[in-house]
Amino acid sequence: MQTIELMHVRKSYDQFVAVDDLSFAIAEGSVFGLLGPNGAGKTSTIRMMIGITAPDSGEINVFGKPFERKSLHKIGYLPEERGLYKKMKVLDQLVFLGELHGMQAADARKKATEWCARLEISEKLDKKVEELSKGMQQKIQFIAALLHDPEFIIMDEPFFGLDPVNAGLLKDVMLDLKKRGRTILFSTHRMDQVEKLCDSICLINRGRSVLQGPLKQVKAQYGKSNVQIEYEGSGEFLQQTQLVGSYNNYGNYVEVRLAAGADPQQLLRAAAERSRISKFELVEPSLEEIFIEVVGKNDA
Amino acid sequence: MRNIWLIARREYLERVRTRSFMIMTVLTPLLMAALTVGPGLLAARVSHHSRHMVVVASDQQTGNTIKEQLIHENDQSRQSEEAARKSSMKRGPQPQPEITVDVDTNVSAEHRAELVQKLQNKEVDGVIWAPEEALKSREIPFITRDTSSFIETAEVQASLKQSISRHALQARGLNEQEIDGIFQPVKLDVQDAAGNGAANPQIVLITSVVLVMILYMSVLMYGINVMRAVLEEKTSRIMEVMLSVAQAKEMMAGKILGVGAVGLTQIGIWAAVALAYIVPNAMALRGQLKTMLSPGLLIWFAVFYLLGYTLYSTIYAAIGSMVNSEQEAQQLQFVAILPLIAAVAVMIGVVEMPNSALAIWCSLIPFTSPLIMFMRIAVQTPPLWQIALSVVLLVGTVYALVLLCAKIYRVGILMYGKRPTLPEIMKWLKYA
Repeated sequence: MQTIELMHVRKSYDQFVAVDDLSFAIAEGSVFGLLGPNGAGKTSTIRMMIGITAPDSGEINVFGKPFERKSLHKIGYLPEERGLYKKMKVLDQLVFLGELHGMQAADARKKATEWCARLEISEKLDKKVEELSKGMQQKIQFIAALLHDPEFIIMDEPFFGLDPVNAGLLKDVMLDLKKRGRTILFSTHRMDQVEKLCDSICLINRGRSVLQGPLKQVKAQYGKSNVQIEYEGSGEFLQQTQLVGSYNNYGNYVEVRLAAGADPQQLLRAAAERSRISKFELVEPSLEEIFIEVVGKNDA
Repeated sequence: MRNIWLIARREYLERVRTRSFMIMTVLTPLLMAALTVGPGLLAARVSHHSRHMVVVASDQQTGNTIKEQLIHENDQSRQSEEAARKSSMKRGPQPQPEITVDVDTNVSAEHRAELVQKLQNKEVDGVIWAPEEALKSREIPFITRDTSSFIETAEVQASLKQSISRHALQARGLNEQEIDGIFQPVKLDVQDAAGNGAANPQIVLITSVVLVMILYMSVLMYGINVMRAVLEEKTSRIMEVMLSVAQAKEMMAGKILGVGAVGLTQIGIWAAVALAYIVPNAMALRGQLKTMLSPGLLIWFAVFYLLGYTLYSTIYAAIGSMVNSEQEAQQLQFVAILPLIAAVAVMIGVVEMPNSALAIWCSLIPFTSPLIMFMRIAVQTPPLWQIALSVVLLVGTVYALVLLCAKIYRVGILMYGKRPTLPEIMKWLKYA
């Protein structure tokens, strides 16, 4: 079954078209990446999924039927704009948000205590939110989104502003939820961060879907057409346009996208002529590169 | 409905638990008391030490008459103060204001200079220079160190006036008893056409002004509280978390209900304290306050508080949703306060003439009517149709404003950045 399904959804604000003819579906129990640069329409899309705004046209089905507000009790949402009531105590706050999600107060209290123990912030339950560090507030924000054990979890820029420890913690929690059959949507412009987590993706740009499908399929479509090269000496070989389609210099290494029909062996020989090669590896292109290529083609 | 209840409950509990709520609840009545009782106490303080006066008259008899009157006046004000103290606040015995009066018949200029010297040396506190010529010209010098004590000068003036009158009546051959009969005080028994006794106008005035001020402050304070609450959700960015489970109109309704309940709680505490403590203790005022603070009036108070509060807090919720900071809010907030300020400005006029055209209009126009109609009811019950019309207009306006402001609110809470202009707000109304 599809947890959520968008069909030809369109949303405009005044003159500005935020989402245009967008369609995709997320299968139950899968991890989905809604990817695109800032201002591509990701947050607008999510807001329509949970009824904050309504689409101008098109349809959205949630859990197999048209959106209704009581479905929200089965959805957990971590917005990009994070916030908590600063003067409220942690436990009170979690219980309040849990109750809004349809939980009973006692149940919410029990679950909140369990979650805080799991994320090692039990001693903060009685503290006011404003007394906590940024990282701890982030943890509470996650708990708030997950407390009611939602079937569908939406995370908008989940890793934004997280230190590596908390990011790792969140990743573990997410993988655990996936194991338990929950459906997860990640929305982010940092494609590298979710690439490894997603089963399928939708790349959007200027409100339109530019590429979507199962991640493996998307990648296979582009093949192992990239080469990572670590070298010392002259980078002259990068200028040979019959071999090098484009390249990105990351400082420690260069990632080269081969020109159409070029043979990687030829590039290796050309490179070895003038410089010392310490690494030469054929790789799949990253999502970011695929994105840049697709968007570049679209915009041209 | 469950969401509205949960949001209102959170808003209520979070507010009632704060220290500032408790401080406000205790401090406001104290402040009110200080403002109403304080000046009286300060003015009265002057007359609390014993005074030594000298009356200089051409003959002993005139001097004695003035002396008697001075002592008599002093006794009277002492008694009324005593009564007031006993009735209002039971405090320890205060130094009794005493007066001693010497009568002198030496009207020479040297003697006057001598007395002035004594006054400067603080041997005497006042000299009344009342020789025959002064009495005739009705211009009597009163020499005192404390020329600004209006209570004292009023006492002296009253005594002299009485003395001159008595003196004149005596000269026409009336005896003491006859004169006392003439000067017997008159009691006015004000009644309406149905023969019901009216309350003391002074008490009516003070009570209704105090009640209207409480109404004004509560409406304003809790209206602004709603605005702050909305702004807080915007600046703390919890808005979007909330919107993922609750609708904008549920959030607005929950806020207004929750904060309004806090206001009712506070006013309820004040009313309970007033009824339980102050009224039973204020012996002298008890009967009249009881007729003033009738359950009927208190119900009207609640009605107009709720309507006035809902009206203004809805506007404030919309303002809170439009702006991004307190500073921005302040400019808009002022516009919303204007009708309230206007209501307070015409208040005294309404007390004086509760049936004037101004009073009637202001008590019907929805933005001033919560204060002014209540004021009219407190002073003198207006025709029922006017009260009914006022309430109907108010309810209708509140309803329309709730619909309108809910739209602004819905769009506003997700808008960050610059404050919207009027045309932009009109556009919001269209697509909300």
